[in-house]
Amino acid sequence: MTSRYEIGFIVTPEVNEEEVKKIIESITATIKKANGVIENLDEWGRKKMAFPIKKNLEGYYVFIQTEVDGAIIATLERRLKQMEKVLRFITLRLDDKLKKSNKLTKKWAKIDKIRKKTMASSSEEKESEDFLENEEETDATEK
Amino acid sequence: MQPRSNTGDGKPPKKYYSARKKYCAFCKDKITLIDYKNHKNLENFISETGRIFPARVSGTCAYHQKQLSKAIKRARQMALIRFTEEKKRIT
Repeated sequence: MTSRYEIGFIVTPEVNEEEVKKIIESITATIKKANGVIENLDEWGRKKMAFPIKKNLEGYYVFIQTEVDGAIIATLERRLKQMEKVLRFITLRLDDKLKKSNKLTKKWAKIDKIRKKTMASSSEEKESEDFLENEEETDATEK
Repeated sequence: MQPRSNTGDGKPPKKYYSARKKYCAFCKDKITLIDYKNHKNLENFISETGRIFPARVSGTCAYHQKQLSKAIKRARQMALIRFTEEKKRIT
């Protein structure tokens, strides 16, 4: 069973960009080995953190969105824990959330359609009324 | 119970203010999935000391408040939002 996941982690600022790329490659390689698909790779780069972690004020942020088997995520978590250069990491499953949000968007789209229809019909009536009023006014001016 | 009015007209007392109706900011913009990564938007829903505003203050609906609180907690975990106010050194 494959499902969509999001992995995010912070690397220490002492590390070079090449080493960061090595970490990313090692993660992506394991995902690709298990026939996973990498949908998106977000590299924020160096960013000031809201509070210091292990006396580091800055951090190198990376976010990866994938579609893989759940067992691989467990192994990745274990590996990220062992890396000393990774300050923090987070893994999320997005499937349930996306389902819910898609449902809501559909529902809201339906409501919008109905609202637009009613608005259009009401506005047409108003326009016709306005038109009649204008005609009367023009007649009055002519006289 | 009779209405308290000093005017003596028998009319109900004047309303001194009319509270504006609060709207859910996420319903307004039609956001269905709150992401913990856009911390700049989430910072509008925490106080100066870093506490999450209750729904009755911010006006968010129950559906979005649930997501919002979780998103803020995740952002805190990733050091995108502070847990508390910054420490002030006492000299």
